Amino acid sequence: MGFVRDTILLTGRSLRAVPRVPERLLDVTIQPIVFILLFLYVFGSAIHVPGVNYKDYLFPGIIAQSLAFGIIGAGVATSNDMTEGVVDRFRSMPISRLSIISGQVMGQFCEQVLGMIIVVAFGLALGWNPQLTFAHAVELFALMVLGMFAFTWAGVLFGMLVRSPDAMQGVGFIVILPLTFLAGTFVPIAGMDAIPRAIAQWDPISALVAAVRGLTTPGIHQGGSWQLDHPQLAMALWSVVLLAICVPLALRRFNRTLAA
Amino acid sequence: MTQIAIHTEGLTKRFGDFTAVENLSLEVADGSVVSLLGPNGAGKTTTVRMLATLLRPDAGHARVGGYDVVTDAARVRELVSLTGQFAALDKNLTARENLVLMARLRGRNLRAARTLANQLVDRFDIRPFRDRLVKNLSGGEKRRVDLAAGLIDTPHVLVLDEPTTGLDPRSRQVVWSTIRQLVQDGVTLLLTTQYLEEADALADRVVLIDRGTQVAAGTPAQLKAQVGEQRVDIIAADSTSFDQLTDLLWERFEVNPAPEQRTISIPAPDEVADLARIAAIVDESGISVDEVALRRPTLDDAFLALTGHPAHEQTPEVEEVAVSRMTHAAPLQAGRVGSGSERGRSA
Repeated sequence: MGFVRDTILLTGRSLRAVPRVPERLLDVTIQPIVFILLFLYVFGSAIHVPGVNYKDYLFPGIIAQSLAFGIIGAGVATSNDMTEGVVDRFRSMPISRLSIISGQVMGQFCEQVLGMIIVVAFGLALGWNPQLTFAHAVELFALMVLGMFAFTWAGVLFGMLVRSPDAMQGVGFIVILPLTFLAGTFVPIAGMDAIPRAIAQWDPISALVAAVRGLTTPGIHQGGSWQLDHPQLAMALWSVVLLAICVPLALRRFNRTLAA
Repeated sequence: MTQIAIHTEGLTKRFGDFTAVENLSLEVADGSVVSLLGPNGAGKTTTVRMLATLLRPDAGHARVGGYDVVTDAARVRELVSLTGQFAALDKNLTARENLVLMARLRGRNLRAARTLANQLVDRFDIRPFRDRLVKNLSGGEKRRVDLAAGLIDTPHVLVLDEPTTGLDPRSRQVVWSTIRQLVQDGVTLLLTTQYLEEADALADRVVLIDRGTQVAAGTPAQLKAQVGEQRVDIIAADSTSFDQLTDLLWERFEVNPAPEQRTISIPAPDEVADLARIAAIVDESGISVDEVALRRPTLDDAFLALTGHPAHEQTPEVEEVAVSRMTHAAPLQAGRVGSGSERGRSA
């Protein structure tokens, strides 16, 4: 079928760029790695989370944070990519126009997965020891894939909305970074002041963090709100909601630039 | 009966309060070459983008090969190949990879795509840099790959938007000879340009366009008859020399004096030969002159002759920004060299 074939070809095109523009992958990998090193070896001694080894507490948080940063990465790449002259050529060729955006999404998604693998590998190398039963591993894998897919679509949508890749970076740092800090990534939500705690109990990234942590670190309980009590379900729901909102908006936005 | 490859009627496009194209009616017969000639900001790019279904007209109709560009856009896309002013190539792929990708997107399997890519590489003299990333190619090299990519399937209608703007003379010749060969193969060609000589060299018919509308049309011969051909301009050093020059030359040549500029213009159908003869005479006479030069008519000369006023050149950014506002493309991409810079060359 034309759409599938065109999407595969365009995904391949996005992926071939990855080794040639290594800076893009750096964004998704260097950042979490630096954070790991900072929090483990610099701040780690001052942070004490009752009942658990900080390493086991931190890593799931970093992984979830990495997943959330996927929005920025996908957004920047999309902002750069969709404004390239070559997209005009695609648009004027007799290929499925939908495949232009789906190829973009799949390409970004694969990059996110690659970045995630690197971060996880790094964590394992540093001694992280996730306790995973087979069932939990499958659940975690499925959730991560769903989450990355949702966040990639969100990133692609924002990438088409912002004026430039720099604007995307800006948005990322102003909005996403603080949210990831609030999300119980590095320190428990329970210990935060009232206002940050209230935000943290409900924002989607906290659900992400709690979900990953819940599956990999037994004995951890971080309740405080419905979503924190059922983080995996909450994460799945958030992903679905995100997709339900972002996919139609992205398609509509893309069609609008087509028709101009 | 000749088929009409491109037909537009009252074509109009606005970007906010800026009207880029207004009420444009064009016709290009099958197998012929028509050139849209006009300055920057005249609406040439907007027009061809509408024909390639990248932009939707606000009013009027356009048909390519009989198919309406709005209601039958998919069919039009099968017939038309647009090669724009800025290389529409993936800059992170090599020249050859780009060609293979385009070929595969147009339905070839991998092996056929590779074969075709290699053929195009040979035909367009891309071999020396075929495995270099597009972002590392020069403007002329990119343009050649761009042209090749547009010709994966010999299109029914080829639209070239300023194909040689910003190119060095050698690349320009390569592009022109490739275009001529395509035309011989029967491709219908609509090309936009700012250069009179390009329209003259390649087109069967020329349509002058300014501020979004057609101001004149005709064959290159008709154009030249009205505009005049090459001439030798002699600029005297002062008014005394000017008078001396006029006396010296008026009996032997058809002189057109312009006392305010201290310039005498003499038609030079034999170009360099005429230049040499006239220069020799002037030199021998010992009259002091500032300059003896061979000049070709410019776009401005054409506009002046045909419309009575010079072309209204927008600053290059105006049309660009207007178009980018609607497509949310990054404005003023790097590599936009040469727009307007060639104007000074033969002035």
